[in-house]
Amino acid sequence: MSLLDIKNLTLEIDSQSGWIKALDKINLVINEGQIHALVGESGSGKSIIVKAIVGAISDRWRITADRMTWRGQDLLKMSVRERRKIIRSDISVIFQNPKSSLDPIVTLGDQLKEVILATRLEKGMFWNRAKARKKYASELLHRVGIKDHEVYMRSLPHQIPNDVCQKFMIAMALASQPKLVIADDPTRGMEITDKSQILKLLSRVNKVRKLSILFVSHDLLAISSMADHMTVLYCGQTVESGRMSQLRKRALHPYTKALLESAPSFRTDLAPKSPLSSLGGTIPSFQHLPIGCRLGPRCPRARRECVKVPEVRRIHEHTYSCHFPLHRDQK
Amino acid sequence: MNNLLSVENLTFENCHGKRWQKKGTKFTLGPVNFSIQAGETLAIVGANGSGKSLLAKLLVGLEQPDSGSIYLNEKKLEQYDNKHRVLNIRMVFQNSNESLNPGITLGSILEEPLKLNTNLGAQARVAKVEQTLRQVGLLSEHRFFYRHMLSDGQRQRVALARAIILNPQVIVADEPFAALDPSVRSQTVNLLLELQRELGLGFIFISHNLGIVRHISDKMLVMKQGKVVESGKTEVIFHWPKDDYTKKLVHAHQALIDGQG
Repeated sequence: MSLLDIKNLTLEIDSQSGWIKALDKINLVINEGQIHALVGESGSGKSIIVKAIVGAISDRWRITADRMTWRGQDLLKMSVRERRKIIRSDISVIFQNPKSSLDPIVTLGDQLKEVILATRLEKGMFWNRAKARKKYASELLHRVGIKDHEVYMRSLPHQIPNDVCQKFMIAMALASQPKLVIADDPTRGMEITDKSQILKLLSRVNKVRKLSILFVSHDLLAISSMADHMTVLYCGQTVESGRMSQLRKRALHPYTKALLESAPSFRTDLAPKSPLSSLGGTIPSFQHLPIGCRLGPRCPRARRECVKVPEVRRIHEHTYSCHFPLHRDQK
Repeated sequence: MNNLLSVENLTFENCHGKRWQKKGTKFTLGPVNFSIQAGETLAIVGANGSGKSLLAKLLVGLEQPDSGSIYLNEKKLEQYDNKHRVLNIRMVFQNSNESLNPGITLGSILEEPLKLNTNLGAQARVAKVEQTLRQVGLLSEHRFFYRHMLSDGQRQRVALARAIILNPQVIVADEPFAALDPSVRSQTVNLLLELQRELGLGFIFISHNLGIVRHISDKMLVMKQGKVVESGKTEVIFHWPKDDYTKKLVHAHQALIDGQG
């Protein structure tokens, strides 16, 4: 059974010019033990999806979905209390930018100990509890690859390097032994050795503990090295979704293709200093969304039909939404 | 062939938190040696805090080196000769969003270096601003715009326009692609390559993204804790890394590419 099943999630934000659809019919299915990547540029609504899943969105936004279930339970219909309980024990989030999401005036050790659930600790008398908690915390730190846990647990976020902060965030996310970890751009702005360390850590946890990971990022290199499935977002619409290997071999949507081609590392045949292929223009802001397929104005293949929102089509596990997908030409 | 910019034994020493009787932590940079020719690109790669940004600042004259010298066109740049330096070496800052003044129009931002460094009249300045804006792929009307009206990619273009408006010979850029989205990033890369071809600029940039470094740079400088651990042709370093740190970097990059699907 799938862990998280989202169908036609729509989120609307009130603005001066009426309700704007920040997310428009998002579909997302995460199965157990799967690494699912969510790819999109900034402003495509990746982080809003993450917030919608954990329920950290403003009351003034309107959220509707045909289906948004966590292991069969409907997340939208349950009370805030019930939902919080599920999220506390089963879902955890690694937020963007570890240094700003950690508390600057509390030591890292205290922050880590705070998130450990009392039920995860060994039973013992009250004078043993603090010790058990500390032991559990240092085990967690060893698991994510921090060696001098004594030193780091005493220090404050600004005193330690960025990648160690990120490892602390991961340790905190794993503390409650969740079923699903949502990693919101965990490798942003890191240099490559730190990045590959974090990625290895995440994929190891995935294999050892059967943990599902929703990996949100725009770094295609990082994604393609670890994810099995990928969903591509553009401006709050799901553009294409399917197995990673299939998408890389044969992308059907022009946007996915442009995204894959924009990374020079993927293309060994590219001559040095030759121009990279890219789409013209930039991602539109939420106030100026085009109607229909939102890629329309930037798409090299756009035609008159593109002012209607394309329907989701499916070839085996591979879904895409485009009126003129790339494989039509080859016939 | 003449070297456009060459650096010999450049060193810099910085003491943090040095107070009375208390020894501060010391950071030493260098000695750094390299040279580039017109139309060449040098990439500086290294961990955070390895002195990459400091080296960029030394080149443009924001910091004064303790010893060593910088030669532009085989002529030594004097330490306090900023007039000559700013005309020929220009910098693109790390965060193009924050390095543009939000309170004045783009036209005035771009006009400022012209006012300070040239004898152009008001009309000639406006003409130059419009021409430069078109050169980086914006419209000449963009000079009436403010910073907040532009998207990320356009801001990066303005930052570049500010760098090339004085017709420099060398551009130094501190992580110009870090904050950009993939499609905008390839646009910026294309723009840079095009400008380099047209104007024969020497281009020095700092980056974490080894894919891009490999694609656009001719030479490369690997730094670790203020020391240059390896330098040379990019292809050579990527194929046959010598130093342990470089090996680690290149292998990590290769593993990410090979590890796919």
